[in-house]
Amino acid sequence: MKKALTAILSLSMVFSLIGCSGSTAENPANGDTPGQTPAAASGDKKDPVKLRVAWWGGQSRHDYTLKVIEMYQDKNPHVTIEPEYAPFDDYWKKLAPQAAANGLPDIIQMDISYLNQYASRNQIADLKPFVDSGSLNLDDVSENAVKGGEVNGKLVAMTLGTNALQTTFDVETMKQNGIDIPGKEWTWEDMDKLGAQAKEKGFLMGGFAYRHDVFFPYYLRTMGQKMYSEDGKSIGYADDQAFIDYFNRYQTWYDNGYILSLDKEAQKKGVAEEDDIYLGNAISGNGWSNQFLAVANLVTDRSLELNPMPGPGQKEGLFLKPSMYFSVTESSKNKEEAAKFIDFFINDVEANQLIKGERGVPVSSKVKEALKPELTENEAKIFDYVTWAEENSSPGDPPNPIGAVEIEKLLRDYSERILYKKVSIEQAAPDFRKEANAILARSQK
Amino acid sequence: MNKLRENEHLTGYVFTAPFVLGFLVFTLYPILSSLYYSFTDYNLYEAPGWLGLDNYQRMFTEDDKIAKSMQVTFTYVFASVPLRLVFALFVAMILNTATRATGIYRSAFYLPSLIGGSVAVAIMWQQIFGDQGLLNSALSLFGIHSTTSWIGSPSTALWTLIALSIWQFGSSMIIFLAGLKNIPRDYYEAASVDGANSVYRFFKITLPMLSPIILFNLTLQTISAFMTFTPAYIISRGEGGPLDQTLLYSLYLYRKAFSHFEMGYASAMAWIMLLIVGVLTLLIFKSSTRWVHYETKGD
Repeated sequence: MKKALTAILSLSMVFSLIGCSGSTAENPANGDTPGQTPAAASGDKKDPVKLRVAWWGGQSRHDYTLKVIEMYQDKNPHVTIEPEYAPFDDYWKKLAPQAAANGLPDIIQMDISYLNQYASRNQIADLKPFVDSGSLNLDDVSENAVKGGEVNGKLVAMTLGTNALQTTFDVETMKQNGIDIPGKEWTWEDMDKLGAQAKEKGFLMGGFAYRHDVFFPYYLRTMGQKMYSEDGKSIGYADDQAFIDYFNRYQTWYDNGYILSLDKEAQKKGVAEEDDIYLGNAISGNGWSNQFLAVANLVTDRSLELNPMPGPGQKEGLFLKPSMYFSVTESSKNKEEAAKFIDFFINDVEANQLIKGERGVPVSSKVKEALKPELTENEAKIFDYVTWAEENSSPGDPPNPIGAVEIEKLLRDYSERILYKKVSIEQAAPDFRKEANAILARSQK
Repeated sequence: MNKLRENEHLTGYVFTAPFVLGFLVFTLYPILSSLYYSFTDYNLYEAPGWLGLDNYQRMFTEDDKIAKSMQVTFTYVFASVPLRLVFALFVAMILNTATRATGIYRSAFYLPSLIGGSVAVAIMWQQIFGDQGLLNSALSLFGIHSTTSWIGSPSTALWTLIALSIWQFGSSMIIFLAGLKNIPRDYYEAASVDGANSVYRFFKITLPMLSPIILFNLTLQTISAFMTFTPAYIISRGEGGPLDQTLLYSLYLYRKAFSHFEMGYASAMAWIMLLIVGVLTLLIFKSSTRWVHYETKGD
């Protein structure tokens, strides 16, 4: 009896060992194949193809994206798509180990802050061959939108939509309370006044919600300066005066109680339901144009309006930003099929009737025209604003250099320390620039 | 006879194989590879390149956040561990004297430490200490109208985490309770006969008799307090804010590894943490000869 048990157990151990070594022997072989197979796969169109598509977003984005995928599968029965989706922060934390394991999905949604990181480490593929072969049709896409996805002359990401910075005004509440509504051409002094008037009536105005990584570069642009140098190897400005002016103004707003206090800001999770305009606490807010929709749709009893950011130098400051991209990964075995899906996503009118500019105003002029009559009032406001911004903006900056994510965090840390008076603005300005330069130098070795 | 021995050996190996294999593959291998990575610039995407001691040097010369996060971690550990142990012992002593429904009380007090490390509790904590949370509502009943967010203000944020840690006193309490039950009744009776009051009995009988258990709890709780991660991550949403006041070392390590993808640097951080925890544990054990009382030594 005992002998039998020993035999069974030792056998099972032997098998499990074999199992182990078997799989380890297989893995390297798997790792080698992606380079060789695509030619074979693209030969026959009827071959079943499996694509993995990953994106970040909220529930509404997940819902309609799944419908678009279903639509694509109906039209292309040989393609099966496996969706993978998560909130923004978790998305990137999931993607990194997948990249390390050579197991990225075929198509990944890409953000401007991460574009360089993935491109320079050869994780995402050049899409130009597929544009040339006709799989990815860019005839109706403006050159600017295409350029936004280029790194070192390679088209590594396809822009899905465009955004522009905007100020949201709760015009009706402002009228009722006798708060002056600034026009399109307004200045930082007007914004000071707006804060003072709002405060008098017991309202806040929208602060920048820690997003100095968005609004400080805008401010720099209005002054004819850039956050990052052209080659991305250093901070783009040498004179700290812009930093000092920007934060002096912001500190005044904060100390006067024009904007939300930091301890309350820290609790926000970044969803529209806690927006202070919606809650009736604030008369204005700032953000990207696609973010307007979620808030405006919640506020049903009064209408909100989009306005540009303050100037002077508004036109130099404003730019169209690729809201997000789709990239095809280098490890994908079906790059051609992946490119076709992206083509469908940006060019198909029916698909975009589901997407409806939630990923930014569509890049295809044909799609934009076709959607116009079907837009809701709030969607139309965004389309109109971005159309206006096309005429009244300057070309965008190249994708953020590697290390930008860390620098954005650094800027946020400094803004907190400034507002809590742990460091003087005059001290913070050169310190921030020095530390940011060190991060860039380290990241690009 | 010899053959049977051999067979028994084999059976032993086979039965321990799952653990031994698991230990080798999932514990020893990762530990050793992290030691190797700590000398490299591994970033998950590219093959690691050798840096020598650069990571360690950077930690102590360039990175201000290391010192900051250590300060936060030490404050957290040195405040939460003693408070938690005192609280656990206090509750254990009350439960030890209770006569009715002790099972229910024990389970009720143990419950927080079962669920305490969970995401749900951290989110609940966020609500309690938020600007419109339970604590502020409770304070307003006493006429104190507070609108601060306890989690959002730099001076109180870490203390909400410490409070959360103290609230999870259950496992130490159960161990204390078992220890208390092991102290022979006659000691107390003899002391009472000799006229010792309850305070005297506590310091002269309970504490010395319990000291091996206190040592056990202290060591275990100190090590686990250094590894605290989930509540700080959830409550500050991975930022360690405000003003880095809740930036526990483990949280900063996680950020370096999974937000900035500096796996080499994060590995170096992990080894320094191991060193610190190791030294502290050693100190606790060294000091224990002065205050831990073992009855079997017979003094």
